[in-house]
Amino acid sequence: MIPAAFDYVRASSVDDAIRLLGEHGDDAKLLAGGHSLIPMMKLRLAAPAMLIDITGIPQLDAIRVDGNRVTIGALTKHAALAASDALKKTAPALWDAANQLGDPQVRNRGTIGGASAHGDPSADYPAVLLALDATFTVVGKGGERKLRAGDFFREMFDTALGAGEVLTAIAFDAAPKSAYVKYHHPASHYAVVGAAAVLTLNGGSIATARVAIAGVGDSAFRAGGVESALAGVRGSDEAAVAAACAGTASGQDARSDTFASGAYRAAMADVFTARAVAQAASR
Amino acid sequence: MEYRNGKIGVKGDPSKSMTTAEAGFMAFMGDNLPPGLEPGMDATRRFEPPNFVFPFGTHVCVVEVDAKTGQVEFVKYLAVDDCGRLLNPMIVEGQVHGGIAQGLSQAMFEEVVYDGDGQLLTGTLMDYAIPHAEQVPHYDLDHTVTATTVNPLGIKGVGEAGTIGSTPAVANAVMDALAPFGVVHIDMPLKPEKLWTAMHAKNGRAR
Repeated sequence: MIPAAFDYVRASSVDDAIRLLGEHGDDAKLLAGGHSLIPMMKLRLAAPAMLIDITGIPQLDAIRVDGNRVTIGALTKHAALAASDALKKTAPALWDAANQLGDPQVRNRGTIGGASAHGDPSADYPAVLLALDATFTVVGKGGERKLRAGDFFREMFDTALGAGEVLTAIAFDAAPKSAYVKYHHPASHYAVVGAAAVLTLNGGSIATARVAIAGVGDSAFRAGGVESALAGVRGSDEAAVAAACAGTASGQDARSDTFASGAYRAAMADVFTARAVAQAASR
Repeated sequence: MEYRNGKIGVKGDPSKSMTTAEAGFMAFMGDNLPPGLEPGMDATRRFEPPNFVFPFGTHVCVVEVDAKTGQVEFVKYLAVDDCGRLLNPMIVEGQVHGGIAQGLSQAMFEEVVYDGDGQLLTGTLMDYAIPHAEQVPHYDLDHTVTATTVNPLGIKGVGEAGTIGSTPAVANAVMDALAPFGVVHIDMPLKPEKLWTAMHAKNGRAR
């Protein structure tokens, strides 16, 4: 539980962080809330020689709603998201996730950018951000890139964020008919299964659906078949929603661990997806 | 020496006395003791009761099992214990709280898992589940007081009362909930996947 020796430096701006990343190369890791990275260092699953602390960089922790567009600074803490009425109105799925993430200590330190860049397959945000079809702004030496969530999250602990890049913001269109429901692991409180649903409704019927699942695959994923099957279904018709949500994890090699087998996880993905859809439709 | 009016005094001299706190302070500070006398003031006495004490009680647990997931929700938990005379009711309550949590944790959560090579897979509290406050029910507690006659205080042990009562109360409540599915036994811990599998294996009624 004692990490390998490392050095520490504070970045004063995004440009400064990029410069420091360039200077220290692969030995360096960005430090935001540290609630994933530091435990991994303590278990020696990670041993960066240099931590570049970006928490002091100003103006990266705002939640902005501009018309229909919501932009969240990468250093916004889970607790700030969980307490945001603007977020609850515009993207309740993300508000749900922030409220169910970790514990008060984690929520008061951890950031949405850090949790996203970490790429943990059992983390909550990736499913929500996939369902929101969010856009990630990353900045590097060569300037700024915009990545869609589907391209950003790649595999277990692997994202499209380049070694010399800093994630600065995450943006998405308002999705008031959205929800995230979670099957908490009894020990870690990560998602055994997390299901995010973003709907548009026509009367009481689902016009379009975006559904994404955390905890089951090697990375969060969109459930395309379920999305198509939900079109035209009445959100209040429990049986029809459940039928449309069958086979959420088809095509995925569902993960097994000491708490839940792959088969059970896949079955729970269907149950929790149906619950997320029903909740989103009722909002 | 004699003990009078809450003070230690010299026998026959009413003018010479001090409180036990003053005597204790002098003994432990040790800066004004007669030569050869070590600082400190300790005494140990042992009491051998003529028989064991027999605390008893009844624990009742009400749960709901979600047939779709196998997840268990605690609805109510009642415990009435008899540990004889309660010298400090707050401590007794704390003992029972902690004991129930430990016992239900055994019934529901705690499991040491090794892989085929003998590697421990539940080596940290991220994998080995011990319930947080939000994962245990509210406890409704009461006591009867049946003083034992085998010690002068009438007291009986309470440290294990919670653990002894809660494991079977919780496990039996869950098994009772699964009775309509024809399920009669599941090894502890009663993890949701086991309950879900048992409910679905019998006759598919949970679907």
